[in-house]
Amino acid sequence: MSRPFPYTYISCPCANTPVPDPSRKRRSRESPQKGSPEKPRPQPQIDDDEDEQTFDPRSPRSNFSLYPPEQLLYCEDCHQIKCPRCITEEIVCAYCPNCLFETPNSLVRSEGNRCARNCFNCPACTAPLSVTLLENAGGESGPWVLSCGYCMWTTLDVGIKFDKPTNIRAQLTKMTTDASPPPGPRTRQMSKTFSDLRSPLSMFSSIDDQFPPKDGAEQPTNTSAPRTRDARFAALKTFYKDQIATTTETGVDPGDFGTQFSSPNTLSRIMSIYTQSRRPLLGNTGKKTQTRPLVMREALTGPEGLSIPKPDSESTIIERMASDDCGWDGLASLEQRSFQSPDVRFVQDLLPLPSLLRSKRSKRCKSCKHILVKPEYKPQSTRFRIRLIALSYIPLTTLRPLVPPPTSTSTSTSTSTPQSQPTNLDALPPQKPIQLLLTLKNHMFDPVRITLATPSVTPGHVASKVTILCPQFDIGANSDVWDEALQSATAPDRLSRASPYEKVAEAGKVWDRGRNWTTVVLEVVPGALPGGAKLPKILRGDDSDDDSDDSDGSDDSNNKEAKGQVDWSGQGKDPGRRVQPDEDVLEIPVFVRMDWDSDNQIDQEGMGGKGIGGGESGAVKRELAYWMVLGVGRIST
Amino acid sequence: MPPKAAKGEYIETDTGNKISRRSQIHGTQHIILGGKSIIQSDAVLRGDLFRTTTSNPSDLKPPSTSSTTTTTTETPPPDPKNTISISIGRYSYISRSAILHPPSRLHRGVHSYFPLKIGDHVYIGERSVIEAASVGNHVHVGTDAVVGNMAILKDFAYVLDGAVVPGGMVVPSWCVVGGAPARIVGEIGEGYGVEGAEGGMARERYRGVGGGGGRG
Repeated sequence: MSRPFPYTYISCPCANTPVPDPSRKRRSRESPQKGSPEKPRPQPQIDDDEDEQTFDPRSPRSNFSLYPPEQLLYCEDCHQIKCPRCITEEIVCAYCPNCLFETPNSLVRSEGNRCARNCFNCPACTAPLSVTLLENAGGESGPWVLSCGYCMWTTLDVGIKFDKPTNIRAQLTKMTTDASPPPGPRTRQMSKTFSDLRSPLSMFSSIDDQFPPKDGAEQPTNTSAPRTRDARFAALKTFYKDQIATTTETGVDPGDFGTQFSSPNTLSRIMSIYTQSRRPLLGNTGKKTQTRPLVMREALTGPEGLSIPKPDSESTIIERMASDDCGWDGLASLEQRSFQSPDVRFVQDLLPLPSLLRSKRSKRCKSCKHILVKPEYKPQSTRFRIRLIALSYIPLTTLRPLVPPPTSTSTSTSTSTPQSQPTNLDALPPQKPIQLLLTLKNHMFDPVRITLATPSVTPGHVASKVTILCPQFDIGANSDVWDEALQSATAPDRLSRASPYEKVAEAGKVWDRGRNWTTVVLEVVPGALPGGAKLPKILRGDDSDDDSDDSDGSDDSNNKEAKGQVDWSGQGKDPGRRVQPDEDVLEIPVFVRMDWDSDNQIDQEGMGGKGIGGGESGAVKRELAYWMVLGVGRIST
Repeated sequence: MPPKAAKGEYIETDTGNKISRRSQIHGTQHIILGGKSIIQSDAVLRGDLFRTTTSNPSDLKPPSTSSTTTTTTETPPPDPKNTISISIGRYSYISRSAILHPPSRLHRGVHSYFPLKIGDHVYIGERSVIEAASVGNHVHVGTDAVVGNMAILKDFAYVLDGAVVPGGMVVPSWCVVGGAPARIVGEIGEGYGVEGAEGGMARERYRGVGGGGGRG
């Protein structure tokens, strides 16, 4: 999600600490400031040494540390900002996003993380499917199908109808696992005819059909395996469970298998509970293995799950692909196939996908294991039992352009429309100073002292000059709202806020302040884009004042400049002209250092003797420092 | 063309709703605004598509552009509860050219409309079409998005720009959906919706509209 201007990103300091850092917890307790203007943060050694102190929002490394502020958490124990990389997650509950029903964790483990109810996604377009009554059948008892409201796919396209509108998942599982092998051309056009549609109940009448002939040489004539893939997997699973049970319970080679299949008696007992339904089908094979050599064997026959593809199965598929009735539209796309069983090649083999479950997760600090976020258990609830978000600790930063004071010529119009000349942040004119209001709002119950620092020239090729007119200021505590209301009657600064257009930004003075917020002015001179600024000179004549190495530049790059284009590819030979994509975005790195006196009792033991305020008084001096990036706008060429 | 009067762009109701004079609102008596909500110009609210308890097809013909002629429907509304077609909560924002269209369903051969409920602090982007059954609180719908018939957007759902939420889809809380057809592509952070931060700008938006305005 790219954000509209202006935006704020905050850099989590974890990007500069190596991932396995056992000393991190201790260090954070000893010195809560992770970096301060005096003491630069530990920089990675691989960084170049051109600028040790400042943060470059364009360096590839900072991609991984910049987060929007609402995604960040704060650990009260470590006194650190925590980004999604410095936390661990635990699943609180799993639920279906479609029906919002909770699925117990045990069921997720056994049945897989898909909705066990009526929620399906379209295999063709992933939109949710709805259970609809088949129209032409008439009445309320007719067969039901799953239909997609987005791409009009229905299960009729693959020849599936349901007898009940409920418990569709179980009906579908029955069809896919226990179905007799579909006749060869089912997946061709015939599947759309009603005569070919099999009732899910009718297939149980012919249970003998499930067993293909014993000898694997003569397979059924269709290209797919004797059964569906799910059925084969179930058969193989049952077969190997039986093998394990029979080979271990007779006590042969206990030394080998005893360790391999830990506690065989328990295992076989548990398995017999779950596999009772399939045992009668495969009982004969289990008995067969109880002959003398009781060694585990592999599946040998079709009912055991073995499938030997026909030698010409590949060519059959290719022929079908090449045939006219398949065509490009009949082939399943890669994306569709990635959610289906691997042998699905055609659109007509696609099966509806039960909805993937989602989870609610609680989050813990990776270093101290304290819980940072704990949502309510119920899937529908949006509340949290614990929610330590960074926004309640670090000041909330908002940036907006300062509307220039109306000139004397336009006083009449400016009274009605004060924003007569709003600053277009998507096209900032280069080399033209703009003033921005940077508001920091404190959410803590203690007043905070803020020190802002920024490199005077932004890093990158497009060097913009940045000046914070008042880099040091205080923000009031987030006290009772009524305090502000009562103060507002007398406070003079409320009056000044009423007419902000007459104010002029002064260095060293805050622009405005309120109960728990303070606004300072940021003066920015957007830099010129390399191609754009030199453009007039180039058009006038020769690029004489350019670097001498420009002569070896290729012709087409010169042609580009002659046409007034900036080389956006980043591949140009001239490093002065090279503009990376999004290099015209004006991003200002700002270092924020906040310190405050906390009277939190719990903090003292963690802080040890570090508290400046002294032990029993309860006031502990705290510090927090981080880099943030203000996305101001895009510089026009 | 409404006369370009000096009255200003917005009509402000007693509860603080700011409704653009250039918006197209049909069936005003079937629409409930919770207060301090904003309806921008060219937004279309189809309040005339309300549920008819008896199978009465009279609602299929919307009255022509005038917004106060729906009092002359053949059947007097028997129960005011049943004839609400659109309800919008507080501090919600309907951008320019958005369309709010109550969902409908064919039930037992009768095509009937169902109310469209929109919660508090909802943002509906420009040119978006909303046909959802319910839109929760703090929902963000980007520009050019389509929310299909009978879809449900739970609280703190986030619909990206240009997404097409298929009909009947349920977007769970905290989920980001995008694409056509929309699917869940991510989650928004826990801090979403904090006042003044991302997702919590509804009061700010309200203050910024129409010049002056009441206190939030």
